[in-house]
Amino acid sequence: MSPRPWWRRLGHAGLVLVAVVYCVFPIYFMLVQSLKSAQEDVFGNPLIVTRPTLENFEELFERKSEPRNFVGRALRRDYPFVVWLQNTLVIFGGSVAVTLAVGVAAAYALGRLRPPGFRWWRRAIFATYVVPHTILFVPLYQVVIRLQLDDNPLVLLLVYPTMALPFCVWILSAYFGNLPREIEESALVEGASRAAAFYRIVLPMSRPVLIAAGIFTLGTIASDFMIASVFLLSEHNQTIPAGLATMEVALDELLAVAGINLMAIPVVLVCALFARGYVRGLTAAMVEGS
Amino acid sequence: MVTAYLLLAPAVLLLVVVLAYPVGWEAWISLTNLSPLNDGGAVFVGLDNYRRLAGDADFWRAAVVTVAFAALTTLAKLALGVAFALLLARPFRGRALVFLAVFLPWAYPASVSVIGWYWTLSPPIPTAYSAFMGHLKISVDHALGTGAWSFLAVTLFNIWRGSSFIGVFLLAGINAVPPELFECALLECRSAWRRFWLVTVPLLRPFLALAVFLSLTTAFADLANVWLLTAGRVVFPVIGTHAYWLAIKAGEFGAASALSLVLVPFLLAVLALLFKAFDPPDEARA
Repeated sequence: MSPRPWWRRLGHAGLVLVAVVYCVFPIYFMLVQSLKSAQEDVFGNPLIVTRPTLENFEELFERKSEPRNFVGRALRRDYPFVVWLQNTLVIFGGSVAVTLAVGVAAAYALGRLRPPGFRWWRRAIFATYVVPHTILFVPLYQVVIRLQLDDNPLVLLLVYPTMALPFCVWILSAYFGNLPREIEESALVEGASRAAAFYRIVLPMSRPVLIAAGIFTLGTIASDFMIASVFLLSEHNQTIPAGLATMEVALDELLAVAGINLMAIPVVLVCALFARGYVRGLTAAMVEGS
Repeated sequence: MVTAYLLLAPAVLLLVVVLAYPVGWEAWISLTNLSPLNDGGAVFVGLDNYRRLAGDADFWRAAVVTVAFAALTTLAKLALGVAFALLLARPFRGRALVFLAVFLPWAYPASVSVIGWYWTLSPPIPTAYSAFMGHLKISVDHALGTGAWSFLAVTLFNIWRGSSFIGVFLLAGINAVPPELFECALLECRSAWRRFWLVTVPLLRPFLALAVFLSLTTAFADLANVWLLTAGRVVFPVIGTHAYWLAIKAGEFGAASALSLVLVPFLLAVLALLFKAFDPPDEARA
């Protein structure tokens, strides 16, 4: 390729800069606010922090902070943030695991074993995305009460997988369907069982697609706030999104922004760690072998 | 075959319990006048709820806003997403970092970023930027009508997060295209604009179709974000908030169910069209 003229390179750099600022600025802004002291929040420059402090984060982790002065105690509550964080991590981890397990099983059936009408099964599963979540929680509550799961974090392990499952089944079954049959058959000829061939050969090969499905699931369930706040009522059962929604924002703005960042850190870290695998997996699922 | 159905069972069971049964209930209730305010059980009223909707000016207003919102955000997300993907397609110094930056709006959990977004645009009283944002809100509302600022906030949030997802998704699509194809195109056709429409878009068709569908469903179903960004004061109604309002505040479950189901046939039709574009290409090989 011929070297590009300087003005094209400059234009490219300019576009990159605009894209990065557009994507990162809102997050930068939240990060800056969470590092501010109350004084700087009111009188400082909103765009920068001159004396960063971790006091907002520290306050989140103090279960019972020292008694505040009278007005403060009367108006502000304490938030069991550590419990919320634990709930969030457990529920998110569990939901991703459930989604992948259920999704891989269904995708293998549809992509590999191909029962009659497998195309329509797959389409039907994907079509569940048209269901509006608007007031779905009203009938869903009946199911939840029948299963005696009300105010139980387990209910999210039931609901969250359905938010990502259709997409995961779609890409996983496309990938399984496109894998050359010989790969598995050679193992079957050697005397391995179908399950062994799957565990030893197909599953390790699908790693990128599994990562793509897992990251998609994590990103999707981490965007839910509605389901969590409808079904988790008592404070000690809530996840961070559900808990944050109950905070009195005008009084605890800095604390809440710190909470937002604290929730985001693990999710973003996991996503960033697997970001390249995510892209590779999506590519593999949609195209490879076809 | 038994194995296939056994493997399929957990997924189907989950979807039936969490989605199919509740939707079936909604469909049935939309034909009755169920309300906690009525005495006695629900009475079957046929299509009355739907007929009432058709004659309701509020419904049409909400429908127009919803469709406009979905169309606007989907177009913007696609345009930005394509731009991100093309920007990242060719190697340059620092591409890995730029890629992470583009990935960030989607990876940052929306359940909490939407809360932060709301406070940034409508800050609580004592912050350094409250006055500035307040002025902005008033002038926008003044220029474009009450509720414009909230509408803008929701739209911007949806685009910000969605364009990140679509950008990364389309990048995966571009990566799948053998580079020789683009090089051939470069020799055949000098206009970059024509190259884009004649080569890049057709090659990305399955990815674009899937992205459009996911974008539409989130736009139509986006109740929670609208709710949060407008702090529950519904200054501009979309179908989602309207239905929520009817069910929870007015107690009219029948009408609310009808309302929330109105969009389903429309989305199914779109999906049926799009399936052609993104069905996995395994049909021919089977």
